[in-house]
Amino acid sequence: MREPLISARGVTVRFGGLIAVNGVDLDVHPGELVGVIGPNGAGKTTFFHALSGVLAPTGGRLLVAGEDLTGRAAHEFANHGVARTFQTPRVFRDMSAGDNVRFGLAFAGRKRRHARDAFDNPAAILGLLGLGNAAAVPAGGLTPARQRLLEIGMALATRPRVLLLDEVAAGLTHAEVDTTAQLIRRVRDELGLAVIWIEHAVRVLMNYVERVAVLHQGEKIADGDPRKVAKDPAVVEAYLGEELPA
Amino acid sequence: MTFWIELVATGLITGGIYALVALGLNLQYGLMRVMNISHGEFLMLGAYLTWLAHTVFGFDPVAFLPVVAILLFILGLAVYRLCFQRIVRTSPSVEVIEARSLLIGFGLMYLVQNAAYLAWGADMRGYSYLSDPVQIAGARFAGNSLLAFGFAMVASLAMLALLRWTMLGKAVRAMMQSPAGAQLVGIDTRVLHPAVFGLGLALAGVAGALLSMLYEITPGMGEPYTVTALIVITLGGLGSAAGCLAGGLLLGLVEAFGMHFTSPSLKMLLSYGVFIGVLLARPKGLFAR
Amino acid sequence: MSAELRRILVLLVAASTALATLPWLASDFMLSLALTCLLYVGLAVSWSMFSGATNYLSLATSAFFGIGAYVTAWGYESLPYAVVVLLGGLVAAAFAALVGAAVLHLRGAYFAVLTFGLGELVRHAITYAEKTYAKTVGRVIADPPESIDVYLTVLLLAFLAVAVCAMVRASRFGLALAGIGADEERAQTLGVNTRRTKILAFALAAFFAGALGAAMAVRWTYIEPASVFNPFIGFQTVLIAMIGGAQTLIGPIASAVIFSVMTEMLRLQFPYAYLIALGVLLILLVLYLPGGMASLFRRAWKPNA
Repeated sequence: MREPLISARGVTVRFGGLIAVNGVDLDVHPGELVGVIGPNGAGKTTFFHALSGVLAPTGGRLLVAGEDLTGRAAHEFANHGVARTFQTPRVFRDMSAGDNVRFGLAFAGRKRRHARDAFDNPAAILGLLGLGNAAAVPAGGLTPARQRLLEIGMALATRPRVLLLDEVAAGLTHAEVDTTAQLIRRVRDELGLAVIWIEHAVRVLMNYVERVAVLHQGEKIADGDPRKVAKDPAVVEAYLGEELPA
Repeated sequence: MTFWIELVATGLITGGIYALVALGLNLQYGLMRVMNISHGEFLMLGAYLTWLAHTVFGFDPVAFLPVVAILLFILGLAVYRLCFQRIVRTSPSVEVIEARSLLIGFGLMYLVQNAAYLAWGADMRGYSYLSDPVQIAGARFAGNSLLAFGFAMVASLAMLALLRWTMLGKAVRAMMQSPAGAQLVGIDTRVLHPAVFGLGLALAGVAGALLSMLYEITPGMGEPYTVTALIVITLGGLGSAAGCLAGGLLLGLVEAFGMHFTSPSLKMLLSYGVFIGVLLARPKGLFAR
Repeated sequence: MSAELRRILVLLVAASTALATLPWLASDFMLSLALTCLLYVGLAVSWSMFSGATNYLSLATSAFFGIGAYVTAWGYESLPYAVVVLLGGLVAAAFAALVGAAVLHLRGAYFAVLTFGLGELVRHAITYAEKTYAKTVGRVIADPPESIDVYLTVLLLAFLAVAVCAMVRASRFGLALAGIGADEERAQTLGVNTRRTKILAFALAAFFAGALGAAMAVRWTYIEPASVFNPFIGFQTVLIAMIGGAQTLIGPIASAVIFSVMTEMLRLQFPYAYLIALGVLLILLVLYLPGGMASLFRRAWKPNA
């Protein structure tokens, strides 16, 4: 078994009396495309915050390529190759799209110069994302859908080995989702990334990922083949009795 | 033994004032993320108004307290409307509200302080009020100190009661926890924000009025209290009124004892030391669960 | 080095060389005015380098200035002028690094209020130390340097401040600062060590404030805490930078010149009214023109958050 690129071992995140993430284990290997789903409030984004170092977990451990990064600052996660997007796109609004991508290249991307060089300049990255003509546009002026793409570009600029995508499909048409998903798969294939993809729109995700984990009230209640997970009684119950599409 | 009682009392009296000033800032910052760095200047205004009322018109300072409160409440409504409302409503994020309101507060500080200098000059002013000593349990206190402490406690406890048991108080606490939720159930920020801001300034004004009974006043007297208020808020936890009260009293005691054992000039160093210590050890406040 | 940066530096050297000839061409009054302008150019530009970029409002300029002044007060007897100026900057920078390490992880509002209190804090501490250990209230600067030397030193410091600021803005370090100002958490997730970057920038800005304080201290023959830790210096610095446009290079420079001239003319006549007007000006500015005057001149650039 290959060693996981990113590994959460019993990760717990508490806010005072509220336990947002409760003892979640997750191993993701190079080249895996794992979806994370769960009803609202399941703790998915909080889990991502822990995985990217934005929040320090209250319990458990986080390993990136075997190295224990628990409790370290977010920039150290980035320097070890963990890149992420946010639920609501967080781009540097007053900088051009090109400069936004350059930012990632200038910092974590520079530290990780040794990593694969397939996309190592702003033009290549923007081109990949279909934003080639928007290089000089202030990021705040892009549509939300394009800002989401830009965020993926910013993430790629840091030469990651793990990509955390938080609801990249929200608000997109079927066609747009398909394009985005193909893009993600391509990037995963070419760079051998481990990709973890949170999606609220379950239908969307199930078609594109090879493996899915389900969070419910902070705990992982299922993890495996999408079709099997869709029929798992615990998962069905969590989604209020609706059977999930396979 | 009486010496220690007097030392504790001094600490508590100062602390009571701190609590009152901090309560106002806590409400403003906790609710609207407006860090009014000129908060202390309104304490100063309260002091000067009381001094004026007493020395020029012969009002009893205690009887004048509610007047100070009302005057400063109204002033607070005006200040909010003119200076802060636009920022709170139109800023794209909380960080921007903080940054901009800080700068506005900074400008306001210069405005108010220098207006006071212009109006009343830089000399210290004061009046004597109930300064005859009172004996309690063998220890001696100035009558006005006890009075100031008493009123500070009454005002603080009244605020706590207001926050806990009245509709207004519940609305404020709801807003602090979840602005979106609160608005959904119909709490109108257009009314609540100015009202809370006014309330904050009223508390500062009352604190200033109490201080004018004890000490001499100058236009520059308010500045240190703004910093102290922030330290108290940190000690007690942002958004917690009870924490403010406890934190204020605690800080007063720490200062009183600290100054006794080291030197009065090191008061600020002590407060800062406490501040940094709390931030490092218990950033959510001493009383957070 | 980019073409734009080179252009700026060339311009800077030219301007500074021209200004260096002033002592032989201008009257004493003009020289004094120029000195004040240069002081505030140095203070405002170095302040914007940190606070303008990161949006961490530092109100500690007076504290750093005063620290520098006291380094001169203590060291002038035994060390050459140039050395105390350098030392003043270094001590202020070290102090800033210490304070920064303790408080820069706080949210902006806390940071601002804390730096605000620093001036008072340092003033009290030095007053206490002087009274207890040196048994004195103030110090006398006997045999101060020639005004020409003071002028040239301040000119050099202002030049350095602007040059360093320009270089920072064009560098990765400046990009990191801009990222911190735009979205600090986001910058962190892209690999910026925000803590270290902030502390460094804060210390760098403090260096200039301290060096300028050390340089200007000799203009007072009698140095005592109350005069040297003057909060107005900090206020004026912030005001100048904000009015000019704290995210630009030229904004604070132009603004510093205008304001120094105005202050020189009006402050002594109407000290309080002038300060009231400044307060009102700052409020109006933040409410209606948060990007400062410079934002009026920029091309269709979205108003900065």
